[in-house]
Amino acid sequence: MPRSDNSPDLLVALHFLGGSARTWEPVARRLAGTVGCLALDLPGFGAAAGTTGYDVAAMADHVAAAIRAARPRRFALAGHSMGAKVALALARRSEDGDPDLAGLSHLVLVAGSPPSPEPIAEERRRAMLAWIGADAETRAREARAFIRQNVGAPLAPGDEDAATADVLRAAPDAWRAWLESGANEDWAARIGVLRTPALILAGGDDADLGPAGQAALTAPHLAHARTRVLDGAGHLLPLERPDAVAAEIAAHLAAAAPADPAPARIPADYAALIASERVNPRLRAALVERAEPDDPAYAPAALDPVALALLRAVVARVLPEAGFDIAARLDARLASGAGDGWRFSRLPPDAHAYRAGLRSLDAAARAEGAPFLARDGAGRDALLRAAQEGRLAVPETADPRLDAEQMVLWFEDLRADAVRTYLAHPATLARLGFSGIGAGGTGTPDPDGLARNLPGFVRTGRNDPEPWEPEPWEPEPWEPGQSAPAEAVR
Amino acid sequence: MNLDGMRHHALNEAVDAVVIGTGAGGAPVLARLAAAGLRVVALEAGPNFAPAAFAFDETLADEIYWTGERLSGGTTPEAFGANNSGTGVGGSTLHWGAFVPRPDRRDLALHTETGEGCDWPVGLDELVPFYERVERFIGVSGADPYPWDPGRRYPLPPVPRNGPAEIMALACGQRGLRATDAPAAVVSRPFAQEGGPEREACINCGYCHQGCRNGAKASMDVTYLPLALRHGAEIRPGSVAHGLERDASGRVTAVVYRRDGVDHRQLCGAVFLCAGAVETPRLLLNLGLANASGQVGRNYMGHVATQVWGSFPDPIRMNRGYPSSLISEDMVRPRDADFAGGYLVQSLGVQPLTLANAVARTRGLWGPALHACLDGYNHLAGIGINGETLPCDENRLTLSDETDALGLRKAQISFGYSENERRLNAHATALMRDLWEAAGARDIWVLERVAHTLGTCRMGRSGDAAVVDPYGRSFDIPNLWISDGSTFPSSLAANPALTIMALALRSAEAFLERARDG
Ligand SMILES: Cc1cc2nc3c(=O)[nH]c(=O)nc-3n(C[C@H](O)[C@H](O)[C@H](O)COP(=O)(O)OP(=O)(O)OC[C@H]3O[C@@H](n4cnc5c(N)ncnc54)[C@H](O)[C@@H]3O)c2cc1C
Ligand code: SF4
Repeated sequence: MPRSDNSPDLLVALHFLGGSARTWEPVARRLAGTVGCLALDLPGFGAAAGTTGYDVAAMADHVAAAIRAARPRRFALAGHSMGAKVALALARRSEDGDPDLAGLSHLVLVAGSPPSPEPIAEERRRAMLAWIGADAETRAREARAFIRQNVGAPLAPGDEDAATADVLRAAPDAWRAWLESGANEDWAARIGVLRTPALILAGGDDADLGPAGQAALTAPHLAHARTRVLDGAGHLLPLERPDAVAAEIAAHLAAAAPADPAPARIPADYAALIASERVNPRLRAALVERAEPDDPAYAPAALDPVALALLRAVVARVLPEAGFDIAARLDARLASGAGDGWRFSRLPPDAHAYRAGLRSLDAAARAEGAPFLARDGAGRDALLRAAQEGRLAVPETADPRLDAEQMVLWFEDLRADAVRTYLAHPATLARLGFSGIGAGGTGTPDPDGLARNLPGFVRTGRNDPEPWEPEPWEPEPWEPGQSAPAEAVR
Repeated sequence: MNLDGMRHHALNEAVDAVVIGTGAGGAPVLARLAAAGLRVVALEAGPNFAPAAFAFDETLADEIYWTGERLSGGTTPEAFGANNSGTGVGGSTLHWGAFVPRPDRRDLALHTETGEGCDWPVGLDELVPFYERVERFIGVSGADPYPWDPGRRYPLPPVPRNGPAEIMALACGQRGLRATDAPAAVVSRPFAQEGGPEREACINCGYCHQGCRNGAKASMDVTYLPLALRHGAEIRPGSVAHGLERDASGRVTAVVYRRDGVDHRQLCGAVFLCAGAVETPRLLLNLGLANASGQVGRNYMGHVATQVWGSFPDPIRMNRGYPSSLISEDMVRPRDADFAGGYLVQSLGVQPLTLANAVARTRGLWGPALHACLDGYNHLAGIGINGETLPCDENRLTLSDETDALGLRKAQISFGYSENERRLNAHATALMRDLWEAAGARDIWVLERVAHTLGTCRMGRSGDAAVVDPYGRSFDIPNLWISDGSTFPSSLAANPALTIMALALRSAEAFLERARDG
C-alpha cells in the first residue's frame, strides 16, 4: 500500500467493553507492514484492570497520557464499540488544540458506540449487570454467551476462549460503570462535527450499532466519513474479520486528505455579468458571498449534528440538484433568530419547530423499521410524501414532537425556506438564465438618496430579449462532494 | 430619504400631533397637517433608507419587511412579512406593487345592493376628489380612456406592458373581456414631484416589490414625506411607539416610544395611529384602549388574491417591466356570479424567489418536479385577482401569550374564507384558467393566496359597532385618530392603498376643521 504524506506512523487502538489490547492483535499483525499499532488497555480492562477512572473523560485522559508518552509524529485513532466513543472524545480534544493530541490524522470507528447515549435494550442491560457480579461458574457461562451473542458467525475456539477470558478479567466495576453511565453519557453536543477523516466500519448483522445505527447516530458527527459494511459480521469485527478490518484501515490511512470544498460552479458568461457594470456593487458583493463554499465541518448552531444531518437529507430530497449546503445555511439563519415576520400559529417558534419536525420525521421512520438516515431515496421520499399529505404516523413518544397536521405545515415551511436559500445563490440564478440582476448597475446617487441614470430594461415584451440577457445554463449533474451528507458506501 | 435639515421638536414640547407610522395612512396625514402649519412628529418603527442602496435582490430586500413575528391561524392562514407588511420610513409603500385602481361605487354600498357585507359610512362621490388629488400628487400612470369610468383621466400615460400583460391582453381579446393598461402609481415620464425630488421615469426593472431605486414608484418617502418635511414635520425613524399616556379626562397627552433601546415620551395634543391593520389593533389591545365597542381586532380581512400560472413556449422573462401592467374590471360584478361583490383581474410578473416560494409552499412541489418548474422561470406568466372579502366576526386579531422584545403580546390572526369568498374564488379560478388556456399556456396551476391586511378598527356611524367615526376619530378617545388599512369596514375589490391615502387626507382635513372650530 503506497503511503501518502498524510499517513500516520502509529495506530492507537481502543477495545470494546470486555475486550483488551489483545482484541486488536489480529488486526495489528496484518497491518504490521503498514503502520505500527499501539493497542491500549482502557481503565478496568486487560492489564489495566486495576486502574480506575471509568467515565468517558477519564478513559480519554488515560489514552491521552499513553499517546503523550509514545510521542507519535502523526497518529490514527481506532476505537471499537466503547473505545470508539473514547476516540471521538479524543478527536474533539485534538481538533480543539490539545498539544498532546496534535498529530491526530485519521479516525477509525469500528462498530462504534455513538456520541449520544448508546441504544441498548433495557432487558439486556439489566442481564449484563446481573451476571457480572455473580458466582464464578455463572460468570464464565455468561461471559462466553456474551461473546457468542455479539458475533455473526462463531469465532475460532481459541479466539473465543481468549475473548471470554478478557471479559472475565475486566473489573466488574468498570463493566457496570459503562453500562450504567458511560454508555449513557451524552457527548453529542461536545463532539459536534469533527473534521478528522473517519472510517466507519459496521457489521451487517450487528444489532443496535450496525449500519443503520452508524448512519443515524455517528456519521452525522463526521464531516468526512466513509462507511463500510462488513456483510454477515456481528459486533466484534476485529476478532471476526481481521483481514477485512486491516485492509479497510490500510486503505483509509493511505487515502488522500479530503480536498478543500470546491468553489461554486458558475458559468463564465454569468460570472462576467455579475462582474459587470450592470450589477450594482451591493448585490455583487452579496452574490460573491453566497457563492463561497460551505464548510463541510460546519458546526450547527440551532440544531444538533444529528438534526443537521436529517435536515441535509430532507433538503436533498426537496432540491436534489442544489449543489451547496442549504441545510447549513438554514441552521445559521435559524440560529440568528431572523424570522420572516410570521409563523403558523399551529407551530412552535421556528428553531423549535425544526427540531421537533426533524425528530418526528425520524421517529416515524424508526417506527416503520429504519431511521430516516438509514433509508434510501425512495424510502425518504415516501416519508416526506406522508408528511406533506398529513398522514405521517408520528409516535407519541417523539420528543419534541409535531403531530401529523403540524408536519404538513412544517414541511411546507421547510420547502419555502429551502427554495429561498436556493434562489439566492448565483449558480441557481445562472441556471435559470435570470436577467434581473443586470437591471441596475450603480447609477449616480443623488442627495435625495435616489439613483439616477440606471439602465433598467428597454425591452419588456415577450420573446424580445435584450442582447445581454443570459440564457439558462444546464449544469452537469451534481457530484455529492465535500459538502454532501455522509452516505454509506457499501 | 434625505432627512438633513429636518426641523426638530423637543420631547417636552406638546406638538399638535404625533403620527405613529409613515406608510400609506400616516404619510399623507403628516404632510397635510404640516402644510396647514401644525407642529407634527412622526414615529416610525423601521429605519430610514436611501433608495439608491436597494439592491434589486429579493433576499437583500428583507430589510424593508416587517419581521416582528405574527401568529397566523384560521382555515386560510395568511402569510405576513414579505407578503404584505413593510417597515421603514414609507411603510409598506416601500415594497408595494403600486397598483392603484379606484374602488367601484357599488363596493362601498355592498349591503344595500346585496344584503351581504356592509356599507361604508362614506360614498364614492365624496371620495373622488380625494382620489384625484392623490393621483395627481403621487403621479399615477394609466389608460386613457379608462373603459370602466370614461370620465376618469390619469395624469400620466401608461407604463409599457410586459410579457404577462401582453399574454393577458391576448387572452382577454379571445374571450371578449375588456382589459387595459393598469393604473399604476409609477411615473412613466420624468415627474416634478410637488414638494419633493424630481422623479425619473420608470426603467422597467421589475423590482417594485423590493424597493424602487430611482423614485419612479410612488412610495411615501418620495411623495408625501418630503412634502411633510418641507413644511416642518419631523420624522423619527427606528422609534417604536408602545405606550399612550392620558390625562384624567381620558385624552392622550403623550406617546411613549423606544428608540435605540431607550424609552422617550413625546408630549402631544393628538395622536394619529397609522401603524397598519395589524400593529394598530395590536397596540390598542395591548394598551386596553379605544375598545368600548369591542370591535378592535374584529373583522380582519385579507383580499382573495388567487393567481393562475402557466408556462408558454415563448420566453417571457417576466422579471422585466412594471409587474402588473394590465387590468380588467369586467369582473367587478360578473353576470353569472353566485356571490356578493366581485374582483379585479391583473397580469402578473414576479421575481424568482417569490415564484419559487409559491411553487414550493403552495403548489407543494419538491424534488425533480420542483427543479423542472423553477428551471422554466423564463417561460412563466401569471394572472391574478384582487377579490372582495366580506367582513366576518370569526376573522379576528387577538393577542397571543407570547411577547416581543418590548414585552408587548404578539398578534395572533385567525382568518378563513366564508362561503362568499369560496364562491368568488371558484369563479375567478375558472375564469383565469380559461384565459390561460386561451392564451396557449401549458402546465397551468393555481396558487391560492390572501393579500393585504385590512379591517380590525372599522369605521362606522355608531360607537356601539365601530372603533372610529367616518373620519377616523376614535369614539372613545377624542384626540386619538386612526388612519390606515384598519378602518376599512369591508375590503372592496380594489387594492387598498389609494383609498388609504384618500381617507388619510380626508381625516387630516376633518381634524384641521375640528381644530379650527375649537
Ligand atoms: C408586497 C406588497 C404589495 C402590495 N401591492 C399593493 C398594490 O399594488 N396596491 C395597493 O393598493 N396596495 C398594495 N399593497 C398594500 C399596501 O402597501 C398597504 O395596504 C398600505 O401600505 C397599508 O398602509 P398602512 O398605512 O395601513 O400601513 P403601512 O403602509 O404598512 O404602514 C405602517 C407603518 O407603521 C409602522 N409601525 C408599525 N407599528 C409601529 C409602532 N408601534 N411604532 C411606530 N411605527 C410603527 C410600520 O413600520 C410601517 O412603516 C401591497 C403591499 C405589499 C407588502
Ligand atoms: S419597475 Fe419602475 S417603478 Fe418598479 S421598481 Fe423598477 S423603476 Fe421603480
